[in-house]
Amino acid sequence: MPSASVLVVNADAGSQDGTPELFKQAAGPEYPTAFVQHLTGGGLPRPISLHALSESGVPGREHAFRAFFTVAGALEVKACIVVDANVRSLTPDWMDILLRPVIEKGVDYVAPLFRRAKYEGSLTNCIIYPLSRALYGKRMRYQTGGGYGFSGKLSSLYLAANVWEGEAARYGIDSWLTTVAVAEGCEVSQGFLGTKICDATLTGIDLSVLLAQAVGAVFHMMETYQDVWEGKRGSTPVPQFGPPYEQGSEGGPVNVERMVKGFQQGLRDLLPIWEIILAPETLEGILSLGLAEAEEFRFPAALWVQTIYDFALAYHEKALHRDHLLKSLTPLYLGRTASFVLETREGSPDDVERVIETLCETFENMKPYLTQRWRFS
Amino acid sequence: MSMLWQEAMLEAFRETTMRMAHLLPKILALLTFLALGLAVGWLVKVFLLRVLRAFRFDALCERFGLGSSLAKAGTMQSASNLVGRLAFWVVFLLFAVMGIDALDLTATANMMNAIIGFLPHMLAALLLLFFGILLANFIAEATLIATVNAQIQEARTIATFIRWGVLIFTVAMVLTQLGIAKEIVVSAFSITFGGVVLSLAIAVGLGGQSIAKDVLEERFHRRKVEQDEMSHI
Repeated sequence: MPSASVLVVNADAGSQDGTPELFKQAAGPEYPTAFVQHLTGGGLPRPISLHALSESGVPGREHAFRAFFTVAGALEVKACIVVDANVRSLTPDWMDILLRPVIEKGVDYVAPLFRRAKYEGSLTNCIIYPLSRALYGKRMRYQTGGGYGFSGKLSSLYLAANVWEGEAARYGIDSWLTTVAVAEGCEVSQGFLGTKICDATLTGIDLSVLLAQAVGAVFHMMETYQDVWEGKRGSTPVPQFGPPYEQGSEGGPVNVERMVKGFQQGLRDLLPIWEIILAPETLEGILSLGLAEAEEFRFPAALWVQTIYDFALAYHEKALHRDHLLKSLTPLYLGRTASFVLETREGSPDDVERVIETLCETFENMKPYLTQRWRFS
Repeated sequence: MSMLWQEAMLEAFRETTMRMAHLLPKILALLTFLALGLAVGWLVKVFLLRVLRAFRFDALCERFGLGSSLAKAGTMQSASNLVGRLAFWVVFLLFAVMGIDALDLTATANMMNAIIGFLPHMLAALLLLFFGILLANFIAEATLIATVNAQIQEARTIATFIRWGVLIFTVAMVLTQLGIAKEIVVSAFSITFGGVVLSLAIAVGLGGQSIAKDVLEERFHRRKVEQDEMSHI
C-alpha cells in the first residue's frame, strides 16, 4: 500500500530494556514512529488494580491498547493493526492479511487464526468458541493474542465501550475484543497467520485463574449483550483471509489420567457448591460419571453444554460469589477435556475438528435451554 | 378508742390511695411503653424486611454461605427474618427499659443503666459474629476450591480447619467484646492457637516430614509437567 500514510506506534508498558530505541531502529527512517508509555490526565481509571500493571509497574497490556486506540482515534485512521510484543513468528504477510481486508473490503475486525497442535487451545475449543458461536451466531474461532486488524470505526467503538473499567476490566482485553466486535454488529473476519510462536508469558498462571478470566468474560458479556444474543439462532461462517486454514500437528502427550483424577476429586469435594450451581438433572448426569474408570471416561457433549449453560445462569443469578463459581468449573472442564482427548486420540486433527464442530452444533441446538431459563432468572 | 381506730383506718386508706394514685400512672406508662414497643418493633421489623428483600439480602447471604450455616445450626428461618426478629426485640427491649424506668424504682435504676450501657457492646458483638461467619464461609469456600483445583487430596480437611479457625477467632472476639471472662478468653485463645500452630509445626517437622517433602516435590514436579502440557487458551 504505497499510497497509504503510515504511523508506527510503540505502545509500551514501561519496559526498561531499550525497546523504544530498538523499535525506532527496526522501523527505519522512512516510517514516522510514535511512542506511548501510558495515558495520563483522566485517561486511566484510578486506582489502577495490581493485576493491570506490567512487570515495570506501569499500566500493562489493556492500557497499552487503550493508549493505542486513543492515538488511532485522534489521527482518525482508516485502519490499524496491533501486533503483540512477545510474538516471534511475525512475517511481512501479517500486515497484508490483517490490514488489506479492512482497507479494501470494508471489514471492521480481523481476528487472528493460528495453526495449532491437536489439543492446543482446549479451553477455547471446549467453551469459548462453541458458546460464543451459539450466542452471537458467528463462527469465529475466538483465538486470542498475536495480532489483530481493526477499522478506525471499531477502534473508536472500543474506546467508547464500557469495558475498560469495572468488572469487565478484570477479565483482560483479549477476552472481549472479539465478542464486542461481533455483538456490536461489526463486519468481522479471520486472518490465518500460520503458526504462533511467542514468549511464554502465561507460564505459571494457574488453570483455574485462566479459566475464570476467559469464561468470566463471556458470561459478563452475556449480561451486557443480552438483547443481541437472545434472539439469535444458528450460526454463519465469517470470511477468512490469508492462506487456507490448516490443521496443526499431533502435539505432545496429554496427561488424561491426571485430568480424570481432578474431575473425580471435584465430584467428591465440590459437590455442595455444584448443587447450588447446577440444575438437578445436570447434577444427576455428572454424578453418574464418577463411577467410570479413567480409560472409559466419557463426558457427553449434551451434558457438557447443559453444565456450561447452568454455570452461565448461576453467574447471572449471582447464586454464588462469581470468582468461586467460575473457579469451581475447573474440575468439570478437566473432565470434559479428558473425555475429548480419549474420544479423539486415535483420530487425526481433522477428526478433532469434527468433534469440535459437533459440540458447537450441540451448543446451538440446546440454546433454548439457556434462553428460557435466562428470562425467568 | 373508736376515734383512734377510725383515724388509723382513714390514714392507712389515704396512704394506700395516695400510693396507688402515684403508682397507677407509672404502671400505665409501663404498659403504654410495652404496647408502643410491640408496635414500633413490629413496624421496624416489617420495614427492615422490605428493605433487606429489596436489596436481596438473603441471596447475598446465600452467596457467602450464611444460609447453609444457619441451616446447619438448625435455624430454618432466612437471614433477613433473623435480622428482622433481632431488630424487633432490640426495639422492644428499649421500650421495656423506658417503661421500667418510668416506674422509678430504686432497685431497677442501676439495672437499667447497665442494660443501656451494654446494648452497644451487644450490637457490636452481633455484627462481629455475623461478619465472622460470613468471612469464615467465604475463606473456607475459596480455600476448598483452590485446593481441589490444585488437586490436594486433603482439600476438605484444610477448608474445614480454616473455617473453624476463623470461627474460633470470631467467637473469641465476640466474647471479648461482651466482656465475658475477658482474660480467660484471651488466654484460652492464645493457648489454643499457639498449641495448634506448635503441634502442626511438630507434626509436619517430625511425623509428616516425608509427607511434606512429597507434597512439595509433587507440587514443584507437577508445575514442571504442567509447563510441558498443552496450552489451554
